[in-house]
Amino acid sequence: MRALSSLLVVAAIPAVLAVKTNDFKTCSQAGFCRRGRALSARVAENPSWRSPYSVDASSVALSPDQAAFTAGVKSSIYPDVKFSLDVRIHDDGVVRVRMDEVDGLRQRYNEAASWALLEEPKVSQKIQWSVGKDGVRAAYGPKNDVQVDVSFEPLKVTLRRDGKEQVVLNSRGLLHMEHFRTKESVAKSKEGMEVPEEGLDTDENAQVVLGSLPRTAWFEGDSEDGWWEETFNSFTDPKPRGPESLSIDIDFPNHGHVYGIPQHATRLDLPLTTGEGAHYTDPYRLYNADVFEYLADSTMSLYGSIPVMYAHSADSTIGIFNAIGSETWIDIGRPSPKSTTSHWISETGILDIFILPGPTPADIFGQYTRLTGTPALPAHWALGYHQCRWNYISSDDVRAVQKRFDEEDIPVDVFWLDIEYAEDHKYFIWDKRHFPDPVDMIKDVEAIERKMVVIVDPHLKRTDDYPVYKQAKDLGLLVKKGDGQTDYEGWCWSGSSAWVDFFHPGSWDWWKSLFKVTPQGEQWSWVESTVNTGIWNDMNEPSIFNGPEISMPRESIHHGGWEHRDLHNINGMLFHNLTSQAAAARTDPPKRPFVLTRSFYAGSQRFGAMWTGDNLGTWDHMAVGVKMVLANNIAGFSFAGSDVGGFFGNPEPEMLVRWYGVGVFSPFFRAHAHIDTKRREPFLLDEPYKSIVRDMLRLRYSMLPVWYTAFREASVTGLPVVRPHFVVFPHDENGFSLDDQFFIGSSGLLVKPVTQKGVAEETVYLPAEDQVYYDYFNHNVYRSTSKGKEITVPAELHQIPLLIRGGSIVSTRERPRRSSPLMKKDPFTLRVALSNDGSARGELYLDDGETYSHRDGKFVWREFIAEKPAKKSKGVRISSRDLAAQKPTEAVDQVALATYDSSNDFAKNVADVRVEKVVVLGLVTKPSSVTTGGKELQWTFTQGVAASAKQEGTASELVIKDPKLSITSDWEILVQA
Amino acid sequence: MNPWLLLLLPLHVLASKGHLKGVSPELAARYVPTKKGSAETWQCLDGSKSIDWTAVNDDYCDCPDGSDEPGTGACPNSSFYCVNEGHIGSLIPSSRVGDGLCEPECCDGSDEAPGVCPNVCKEVGEAYRERVKAEEKLRKTGSKIRSTYVAFAQKEKKRLEDEIAQTEQEIATREKEVARLRDLVERTESLSAAALEERKQSPLYQSLMTHVTALKSLQREHMEHLEREKALGDILDNLRTGYNPNYQDMAVLEAVRGWEQLAGLPHINDVGKDGENENEEELGSDDVTTEEEEEAVEEGMWTAMQLEHQLDDLLNTDYEALLVEHDKHVGAPASPTSILFNLSAYLPDALIPQYEAIRDQVVAVLEMLGLAKGVSDRAADTSKQQKALNDAEHSLRLTKKEKEDAEKELARLFDPEWYGAQGEWKKLHGTCIDKEVGDYIYEVCLFDEARQKPVKGGSTFSLGRFASWNNAPGVEKGSPAYYSKQYYKNGAKCWNGPHRSVTLDMSCGLENAVLSVGEPEKCEYAFKVTSPALCLPLNVSGVKREEL
Repeated sequence: MRALSSLLVVAAIPAVLAVKTNDFKTCSQAGFCRRGRALSARVAENPSWRSPYSVDASSVALSPDQAAFTAGVKSSIYPDVKFSLDVRIHDDGVVRVRMDEVDGLRQRYNEAASWALLEEPKVSQKIQWSVGKDGVRAAYGPKNDVQVDVSFEPLKVTLRRDGKEQVVLNSRGLLHMEHFRTKESVAKSKEGMEVPEEGLDTDENAQVVLGSLPRTAWFEGDSEDGWWEETFNSFTDPKPRGPESLSIDIDFPNHGHVYGIPQHATRLDLPLTTGEGAHYTDPYRLYNADVFEYLADSTMSLYGSIPVMYAHSADSTIGIFNAIGSETWIDIGRPSPKSTTSHWISETGILDIFILPGPTPADIFGQYTRLTGTPALPAHWALGYHQCRWNYISSDDVRAVQKRFDEEDIPVDVFWLDIEYAEDHKYFIWDKRHFPDPVDMIKDVEAIERKMVVIVDPHLKRTDDYPVYKQAKDLGLLVKKGDGQTDYEGWCWSGSSAWVDFFHPGSWDWWKSLFKVTPQGEQWSWVESTVNTGIWNDMNEPSIFNGPEISMPRESIHHGGWEHRDLHNINGMLFHNLTSQAAAARTDPPKRPFVLTRSFYAGSQRFGAMWTGDNLGTWDHMAVGVKMVLANNIAGFSFAGSDVGGFFGNPEPEMLVRWYGVGVFSPFFRAHAHIDTKRREPFLLDEPYKSIVRDMLRLRYSMLPVWYTAFREASVTGLPVVRPHFVVFPHDENGFSLDDQFFIGSSGLLVKPVTQKGVAEETVYLPAEDQVYYDYFNHNVYRSTSKGKEITVPAELHQIPLLIRGGSIVSTRERPRRSSPLMKKDPFTLRVALSNDGSARGELYLDDGETYSHRDGKFVWREFIAEKPAKKSKGVRISSRDLAAQKPTEAVDQVALATYDSSNDFAKNVADVRVEKVVVLGLVTKPSSVTTGGKELQWTFTQGVAASAKQEGTASELVIKDPKLSITSDWEILVQA
Repeated sequence: MNPWLLLLLPLHVLASKGHLKGVSPELAARYVPTKKGSAETWQCLDGSKSIDWTAVNDDYCDCPDGSDEPGTGACPNSSFYCVNEGHIGSLIPSSRVGDGLCEPECCDGSDEAPGVCPNVCKEVGEAYRERVKAEEKLRKTGSKIRSTYVAFAQKEKKRLEDEIAQTEQEIATREKEVARLRDLVERTESLSAAALEERKQSPLYQSLMTHVTALKSLQREHMEHLEREKALGDILDNLRTGYNPNYQDMAVLEAVRGWEQLAGLPHINDVGKDGENENEEELGSDDVTTEEEEEAVEEGMWTAMQLEHQLDDLLNTDYEALLVEHDKHVGAPASPTSILFNLSAYLPDALIPQYEAIRDQVVAVLEMLGLAKGVSDRAADTSKQQKALNDAEHSLRLTKKEKEDAEKELARLFDPEWYGAQGEWKKLHGTCIDKEVGDYIYEVCLFDEARQKPVKGGSTFSLGRFASWNNAPGVEKGSPAYYSKQYYKNGAKCWNGPHRSVTLDMSCGLENAVLSVGEPEKCEYAFKVTSPALCLPLNVSGVKREEL
């Protein structure tokens, strides 16, 4: 017995350590990926290869009033199959290239963009296409520096800037759109037609062959590999529609770095998958999946997919957004250090690619988020600390956890409930044995102005006593099996379950009605919740325990007759989208909803937050979590974080403390833990760990103004909330691969969370600029150079390497509170970190933090400026100005305000909030006077290094005591030398 | 001055006692200015800094120790004293001062700007006094019950001491009896041993002994297999009921399905939660009957039941007695010399004359002594005497054990680590209290074991056996905090988890009862329990004030 049990334990260990990779496909196990890679390999061996696709010059039809044209496309391999091309240039210079099969057996899936895009983009009426002999051309930009070429023979799309190729579609000839066909027609056409293999060796022959012979065998492979049916593990995909994959090469001839295509647990600067220097053997995969205990370094697909890629060089940034909803594999190669190739292989769908011309990272983010939307401005409280666990087991448990936080004076904003609150995992339905008084419980939490977030997953327990399932079934809103008739049934937490088809428009209002907290007549609604309750959408890949690759069979049918395979990667976003709308619609006027999602797609940033799923409590996972959050941030989805502490495992105190260090610098900051783990709430830690974590949490709360201001910027401009080096310093090549340190918004704060065990100091790279950087905590001065500089900073367990770039003014609120809404009347501290030339600038954005009244002008947006009062002065003038009044059109998301009223209701409400302290770092000499409005203020000065000096050491520090200046008013403080 | 500047002045500072706002009575004497000419200064409490007297409670943190802002929220980690007139004063952390919320600890509302929080100290104070009264009443009534426990312990002391004395006597008597019987057996044995040895040489007996050894080995093997099978069954049952679908591990699912097929169980997920255990029971018992029926078909063969219950009896047969019995039955000359005569058949011819001579002499002697004839009866006598001895020894051991147990109980009676300094817990030893939560009844038999029993039948899990009182660091043995928790550890092991364990969170109550049961971590249970044993008499408790 003893021997037996120890044997079992031994056997269990490997399973606990890592993902079962064989639950998920590699490229060679997916027919269309195999075909795509085989084509790529054959083409690589035959330099003479020319793409069979060409534009029929005679068919080009320019739009008379817009930068758009259509044309017919033919494939020399299938001369009878017709394709159409549609190319248009948007107002902001984004080029959209669409290709579809025309008059085929059926329509290819063409709705991916409609779910991803915020709205139909406006096509430019200024830019003009011109038709030439070989192609269609357009040039635009300030000096016509951007040129787009659509070549006819073969079909190729090139965007150049200043004559330099930025991106080329189909330059290698890997474009292939497998047209719809039937098994019978294929068999028939094969009869008596042997495919000649010769004639590929010379360029000349290649042309001849292209023109005359259908070289299907060479091009498509000589077997019908995975065309009609595929089996993986015990699952057979019947593939009733046959082959319909799409392959396209997208090359960046002048860019040596590519980023994007989340979600993968890998470096930000994407490692290669093909050719020389390949780090991985398999392509990056985009196929939303619930990967149990995923690897910390892999191209395996994870929970979400954003098919956007940026290529970057010191000269320019270029991007592409490939609006495709089906499984997609992406190979990345680097033929030379300064050029990058990519090959995209998708299972189904039309070609619908948006070229984002750049040329700066900031431009790219604008271009991408004009298409798919900027991140929603979160409710302010959502930026606080979230405490989660699978599971807080009862309402009294929740109350007890809250009590312990308060006893220890550790701030927290949100308590979460995982799936065990729900009776038999019937979401919305409280398990009254353990949660007898859910609304009272939520109200007890809300009494400290905190919130609760409760999970609602997409699988519905198939039992008629569950009103949500019953209604969805009766309304015909459930996803169907391959026969298109029977409701699909799968296995998830709730046992035998069904899934709502959110592609069905009939599901939308119905879903929204469920979240109403007041009775809705006959209609069931969640009266046992509150209007502030946040929602957590998990398992929306969808995760299905007994499905292929833990997901839904691909032949399942959604609204409109589309197969699940067509829209798999979009599925999770729709659930998130509708839940977010439902949460907002609980009140009139609506409140900003908080909905966390695990699965996502391009556009998900409009609906709430994401997290990196079920990570492991290892240092590797802690480190890769930082990179994954950065990757999501540059892909438009800023409100991102990873589970603090690691979902699986019991982190030792050192690891947990470091993980909090990561969390306080994540846009979304939540601690979470698996049901099998020990409890690890911060109050349970021994000293000194508990105090360290308390201080870290208080640091996060003190910086909420910084985070909120960064989110305002993201919500308006699309610039990420956390920014890797290449975004902030696009010309500094040393920083292109940095992904373990980053800047917070435009605040000038540079942080490098420690993600290694046993560290006492860290190296931080200072970007290539002649600038001073200050340690946030001890004001030590570091100086970078025009070539960049690596510095060493202290990083004991209680320390987080955090620097302020010279030239920044950082606004904080330094009074510890139990929750963030309790800080709304607290005074501000301004840290003025003078630059080399003695100036500094910072922004502060405030609004009510929970409604949309900011779109009606109810907010405060200030600019703080420090500058020399006179050219050679050693003093400084610090002033507060009204940015909102200067730039009302750029102040808030979704609307361009014509004017700003500085005495709006919100501003009046916070007019008595003051600046209680101003700290000026890097003054040259002790001031002779510090005045505001001619009145001398109280201040102290500590001698130290000046910003403009050459040496390092502790910066000089001027502390101005309580100038009693309102945060909403214009004012000046004059510091005279 | 701009009009808004007026707003910025901390109004509540002006409206109250200024410098002394938020200062606790103990520190009030230290909040006085030092005068130097017209200037008034003040020393931070840690002595680190001298500041203007006006900087005290000016809503700006000057002192590193935060002592200059007792009445505002300006300094982190400082404390604010609410006077709470009509109730009792209390300290709250500075993080709660001026946060817009009315603290229950600060019923006079002094932690917020005037007008924000009403003064509710009258009501709060009354309610508090009511509560104190009610608690005191509870304590009083509870402590009466407790005193009966203490009295019980005294009786127990007497009873145990008596028992020890009594068992001591008994032991002495039994020891004598054992000595007498041992002597008898030894003498009998020495006489009969030689004859018996002879008989044991019989091939039949030898063969029988070989069979016995083989059977014993088989039995041992069989038991091991049964144990293994049961252990495997338990593991698989745990897997089946407890496997975590989050692992989404198809191998686990396969294993569960395979086991269900083999054991004839329905798939766990197909079983409605309510009917689950019933179904299993039914199916389980069906299975047993089928097996028994099948086995019964083979004539003469033992059933599993017989194997389990009768094999031991069979193997416990007194073979020596049997050997003697055997001689009586097989029709061999029932003469006293049968073996001796027969032996010659096995001897080489050359030796026979010598042998016969010796034999005759021996037989003669035996007959003369009257022994030879009674060999078999004597052997039976020996084993009977042996049995008597065994029984006597067993009784002696039992009595000794009784005494030891009594001594142990007596030692524990007033041991703080067991029944408390007054023995107040002795009464509750073995008292079982339970609570039904969901599909299970959670039961704890104090000082013994905690269990989880399915309401609708099925196997009971041990949640652990009594291990200790609250031995957390810093908790003094025998203090009220020490008796506020009991730990039960090393219960049944969880699938993929630890051994189950329970923490009892105990407080004074009129009944011994489980109020609630939780599982804050997987397989680690927390019971809230009340007991009169925790109701200390009012005059005894010096901690009353702090507790409330």
